[in-house]
Amino acid sequence: MAADLIESVAKILFIFAVNVGVFAPILGWVERKQSAVMQDRIGANRADILGFTAIGLFHSLADAIKLLTKEDFVPANANKFFHTLAPFISLVPAIAAFAIVPFGGRYELFGHEVHLVIADLDVGILYVFALAGLATYGTVLAGWSSRSNWSLLGGLRASAQMLSYEVAMGLSIIGLIMVYGTLKLTEIGAIQEDFFRWGIFLQPLGFIIFMTCAIAENKRIPFDIPEAESELVAGYFTEYSGMKFVMFWMAEFLEMVTISAVVTTLFFGAWHIPFVTDAMLLSWFQFAGPNGAAALAMLVNIAVFFTKVSFFIWLQMTIRWTLPRFRYDQVMRMCWKMLLPLSLINLSITGLVVLLL
Amino acid sequence: MTSVQVGIPAAVLKPKKVRRRLDMTLWEKLYVAEIVRGLVVTSKHFFINMIGFIFPPAGKKRKIFTVYYPEEKLTLPPAYRGRPVLVADAQGKEKCVACGLCEKMCPAHAISIVAAEKAPGERYPERYTLDLGRCVYCGYCEEVCPKEAIVMSDEYQGLAQRERSRLVFQKEQLLRPESKVKARLSYVRRIYSKWNY
Ligand code: SF4
Ligand code: SF4
Repeated sequence: MAADLIESVAKILFIFAVNVGVFAPILGWVERKQSAVMQDRIGANRADILGFTAIGLFHSLADAIKLLTKEDFVPANANKFFHTLAPFISLVPAIAAFAIVPFGGRYELFGHEVHLVIADLDVGILYVFALAGLATYGTVLAGWSSRSNWSLLGGLRASAQMLSYEVAMGLSIIGLIMVYGTLKLTEIGAIQEDFFRWGIFLQPLGFIIFMTCAIAENKRIPFDIPEAESELVAGYFTEYSGMKFVMFWMAEFLEMVTISAVVTTLFFGAWHIPFVTDAMLLSWFQFAGPNGAAALAMLVNIAVFFTKVSFFIWLQMTIRWTLPRFRYDQVMRMCWKMLLPLSLINLSITGLVVLLL
Repeated sequence: MTSVQVGIPAAVLKPKKVRRRLDMTLWEKLYVAEIVRGLVVTSKHFFINMIGFIFPPAGKKRKIFTVYYPEEKLTLPPAYRGRPVLVADAQGKEKCVACGLCEKMCPAHAISIVAAEKAPGERYPERYTLDLGRCVYCGYCEEVCPKEAIVMSDEYQGLAQRERSRLVFQKEQLLRPESKVKARLSYVRRIYSKWNY
């Protein structure tokens, strides 16, 4: 159907634009500026256009120009095919994972039902895990195909770390799924219309475990042993330059966005304002007519959702600039000896409570 | 160009209590609470600075130590050892009597003097060459000079050159009126008078 097609294309374009066009460059700036502000510095502010610096925002632009014009270097003995493929395998899942995240409710617009999610899969959350598993390949392939010791070590570390944390991450979510009784992210979002059924209240421990594992999956500090610049130069992307390097860099930022979006959807009420249901939103915007009301409500949904996402991005950035890096054995011990038992305990308690109620 | 003073004055600094026992308590071993504490510290800085950025406090000394270098310059303390300069007297002539002590003392052999006599018994340096490419800014020349004729100034610019020959300074380039190095001179007198040379 034409309307369905238009709706899908519009949603895909919207998400793509938000991710690649807004979040990726802005996060490069935020990372610089936030770290500076946190450390009582001023941060990047020298790039200017006609003397106008826009508090350092043009540094992203300068970066883009610099990286686009850089030589695309491939080491002599590298496996050229996989060396080129790896950044794509890293980046594509990071963007694709956003497809199942609902950023708004279900509204009637011009007699056509608009659902603010690109793909409403029945197994939504499993899809996220599958793509997270796929992203591991990008890292490992990058490390292996570069023919560099640093890269290989980084890739090995990444594979061990990401496989381990996937286990704990999967188990930490099961409690939540048991409570909600669905894998569909849109349904999970809809359930959280009731403020007291937000995931954070039902599964506080699950939230902490999930957040920790998600940061570890994204290989960011304090879990950045795959890149560990003080030990491994730059880890698995040591041998990358130019655009391919940017793809890893973007993948990291976009994974951060995706993690924030998933956490928001699962634990922090998705697109809902506390105590405000979608029906209430519609009735408030009644003055704009049925279509206008739906459009306004949709805008509010999207704004609320991305505000929450921004908050979690801020949180991850703060964590990144606060904590020191774990040692390799500490990362493994934390996963297998702390997070995994904790998530199992969380799971059994949840099961017991669900059974008794 | 503005001159800024940054940092906390020494008088304000208070000694911090340091915990000597370094094994972790049970509370710290739990980790999550300590993470939150760390996050609170960094976030506090973040939000305070954020407010400072959005509403800059007028007239207050700024908390951020970063100096916008070419536009702003630090006010250097008199203890700063910039490049050595020759002090001129009221007539604009060097005070140096070409005794050669600094030439002898200089650990880097940066100074070379050609002495001559103005009048019988009155020596002056006909040429006084200071190779700033060799100088290590130790200040020995200043310390040893009996006439306070050579002192360390607060100048540090112009020392990045493509050719080493441009770092060789002659007497005329080195002469500074006494008023320019007054702070350093009084500092030198105070410090060196403490020790019984
Ligand atoms: S500061 Fe030291 S190295 Fe430089 S000219 Fe004086 S004595 Fe020589
Ligand atoms: S020690 Fe002083 S007076 Fe003697 S030659 Fe050096 S600058 Fe001149």
